[in-house]
Amino acid sequence: MHELKVNGKVQEIDADPGTPLLWVIREQLGLTGTKFGCGIARCGACTVHVDGEPVRSCSFTVAAASGKEITTIEGLSPDRSHPLQQAWIAEQVPQCGYCQSGMLMTAAALLKARPAPTDEEIDFAMTNLCRCGTYARVRKAIKRASGTTAT
Amino acid sequence: MLFADAYRAPVSPEGLTRRTFLRSTALVGGGLLLGYAPSAEDATLAGAAGASPAPGEFPLTAWVRVTPDNLVTLVVSQAEIGQGISTTLPAILADELGADWETVRLETAPFAPAYRNPTKNWMFTGNSESIQAFSDLMRQMGAAVREMLVHAAAARWGVPAESCRAERSQVFHSSSGRRATFGEVAAEASRLPVPSSPRLKSPDELTLVGKALPRIDIPEKVDGSAKFGIDMRLPGMLIAAVRTAPTLAGRLRGVERAPALGQPGVRAVVPLDNGVAVVADTYWQARMALSRLEPDFDPGPDAGLSSRELSATYRRALEAGPWATPLNEGSLGPTPDPAARTVSAEYENPFLAHATMEPMNCTVSVTSDHCEVWAPTQGQELAFHTLKRVLGLRDDQVQVNRTPYIGGGFGRRLLPDFVVQAALISKAVGRPVKAIWAREEDMRRDKFRPATLVRLAAEVDGEGVPIALFARVVSPTILLPVFPALEPLMKEKGIDPSALEGAVESIYDIPRRRVDFHLLKIPVPTSVMRTTGYGPNIFAIESFVDELAQSAKADPYEYRRRLLSKNPRALAVLEKAVRLADWGKPLPAGRGRGVAVARAFGTFVAQVVEVAVDGADVRVLRVVSVVDCGRVLDPGIATANIECGVVFGLSYCKSEVTFERGGVVQGNFDGYELPYLAESPELVTEFVSGGGDLGGIGETSPVTVAPALANAISSATGRRLRSMPLARHGLRFGVVRPPRGKGYA
Repeated sequence: MHELKVNGKVQEIDADPGTPLLWVIREQLGLTGTKFGCGIARCGACTVHVDGEPVRSCSFTVAAASGKEITTIEGLSPDRSHPLQQAWIAEQVPQCGYCQSGMLMTAAALLKARPAPTDEEIDFAMTNLCRCGTYARVRKAIKRASGTTAT
Repeated sequence: MLFADAYRAPVSPEGLTRRTFLRSTALVGGGLLLGYAPSAEDATLAGAAGASPAPGEFPLTAWVRVTPDNLVTLVVSQAEIGQGISTTLPAILADELGADWETVRLETAPFAPAYRNPTKNWMFTGNSESIQAFSDLMRQMGAAVREMLVHAAAARWGVPAESCRAERSQVFHSSSGRRATFGEVAAEASRLPVPSSPRLKSPDELTLVGKALPRIDIPEKVDGSAKFGIDMRLPGMLIAAVRTAPTLAGRLRGVERAPALGQPGVRAVVPLDNGVAVVADTYWQARMALSRLEPDFDPGPDAGLSSRELSATYRRALEAGPWATPLNEGSLGPTPDPAARTVSAEYENPFLAHATMEPMNCTVSVTSDHCEVWAPTQGQELAFHTLKRVLGLRDDQVQVNRTPYIGGGFGRRLLPDFVVQAALISKAVGRPVKAIWAREEDMRRDKFRPATLVRLAAEVDGEGVPIALFARVVSPTILLPVFPALEPLMKEKGIDPSALEGAVESIYDIPRRRVDFHLLKIPVPTSVMRTTGYGPNIFAIESFVDELAQSAKADPYEYRRRLLSKNPRALAVLEKAVRLADWGKPLPAGRGRGVAVARAFGTFVAQVVEVAVDGADVRVLRVVSVVDCGRVLDPGIATANIECGVVFGLSYCKSEVTFERGGVVQGNFDGYELPYLAESPELVTEFVSGGGDLGGIGETSPVTVAPALANAISSATGRRLRSMPLARHGLRFGVVRPPRGKGYA
């Protein structure tokens, strides 16, 4: 059994220790906002926070996550009120939307570390893949949100 | 506004009741198809499928349902694959209807004849034609229902219908101050005949069309609540992981099941024609058990297939033909007059993978006499017919539902292969199954955008202006896999209309043109991918026009202007693009601008790409796109499509699919790299209206990116790239370096 604290709630999980956190979150906890894209930590669609750090959960085991605080897109805010979610709506960022949970979680971790990121810092942090090509709007939304994010 | 319970349980008694109810109502819906009458087969299909009205809900047409408490449901026929169609088409419908846009509810259409593309009589989402094909139908449907509701209210009040109006989901009679909600008059309205030629609103009566509406799908896409295919869940559902042969034509000889069967959660090992599936309680259990299997594959024919061999096959075809000649204006011979001054060049386009972010997956419940599917698909009707054939079922035994959200399409999801595979697995285990492809399966079992080889030659006059243009195009099929009815035409004429897009039609005023085409047979499965034939052919043509300009020592823009003097719409987008791009303003060394202009999917597009080249690093700094699609129905959504399409176009310059030992080399995003945010340029996008027919938007802007980039690199460095991706030329999009400052290495 693994004890995970997911979006503030303690959960007992029965899974093979090598199971990627992604599949525990999606299938056992039913939190399907976190997406499977590549399985090799290249695309970032599965990004969640583990103790506040952005982690690609397809390549992070449930055993490693045990006892840690995990935040998924569902836990970013209860009501789409996170400044990034607001900015994402204002800038009309998503197209197909599949990568956007991971994109938002990476951006949220960036803003926590760098409340007013430069373009270079955004370039360096935002290595999530978006096949639709929403990057320009992602950048704009991060900048919009960074004006309002509490440190 | 939400997509409502598209994930309803399929096998509940209530579900059956709903479908039975629908049987008596969908025919009404089928009868509403203005402009074309459903055939007997259509009627049967309509009875089997259709959307799902709740008890007490009144279907007014196949597109609009209203409850007594005034919940207005609009049906979305087209797949939302990121292009925003699930906002624009219902907005057109709601605008004519006078429905309150803030409170309407949207529902994803199952496969049913009512939801076919009216110009193709086939249900699919693709070819950038959803707006062109459906906008008139949406207006007619909205107007027809509005008239039914208004007539019902007017009859109740005993006043002339002409004295009433519909807005905000209510009917008003202004002189008496009476009002009724749509819901209050829906029962009476549903008994009225559907008017066949309702009055359409004048442009100044419209309140939604033409405005940049917030997309209805976006709120659900920022909090994780949007349900994609991979998020589907059925009661009693198992999960399947699949592994297919390493060679394209490989077949399963056999597999020892024992290594998987004892593993935790594993329920079954299912041999497939070309692979094996493990079915388990969870995906990871299935995938881990699958990795323990050692299937015995027959590599099949062409087990030695390689990119080198494929190149040679293309080359032989280009040298030897034979050729079909779909165009010969001016009785040209096969090659330029040897006495004429001639410019010629060859261009190559690579094989490409769709690489949708959501890997192929499908949820299916198959029993002995029924199959119900929830698929992230663009091709519901092809899936329907294919399932019927493969499973040996009747029309009324197959229902193909589309999941409300789909993680990218780009043409890949027009094909039914992943749907059929999931159905066969469900059938084998007798349980509902969700099959999920690993990224490696998704990439290696793609049906690729075909490589093409194009030779262009022009006879030019004393000023270097082309007086005759010869094109030879070698391409495998693009269209056949998604449009099997094409086969007789292809066999008879030796052409694939999709592979000729952008080659046969020309925006330029060139007096004589000839196009020869060789339909290449190769063992690589190929199919439609965003830009279809336009992408590869326009890469060749717009690169070649630049080369012609160079050879004439002319500015590439001025040279094009001259050739476009009889094409005001193409000229207008070109002139505006170069103006916005500061064309002609000097640039520092290592920088360059490139231009390309085209007509694709009924739309004119001109782009100017500005690059900085430093050694191997190519940085795309800015891309200006100017588009004329006749009329813009939603400027916000159209702009987003054009902007994001530019980045998609850059992906065509970044990676390619190659082949070795009969299979696909690249399996994931480490080998098939997509552009990153850091590579995304500044984007400037504008629309002009040339007053023509509506054109497509979704696939337009990626068409001109590769040639404009190649032209820009040529301008910056003098190097002419006649093929993509950049890596073939030792170039790459510039790497991202850590920012300077605290906390970075």
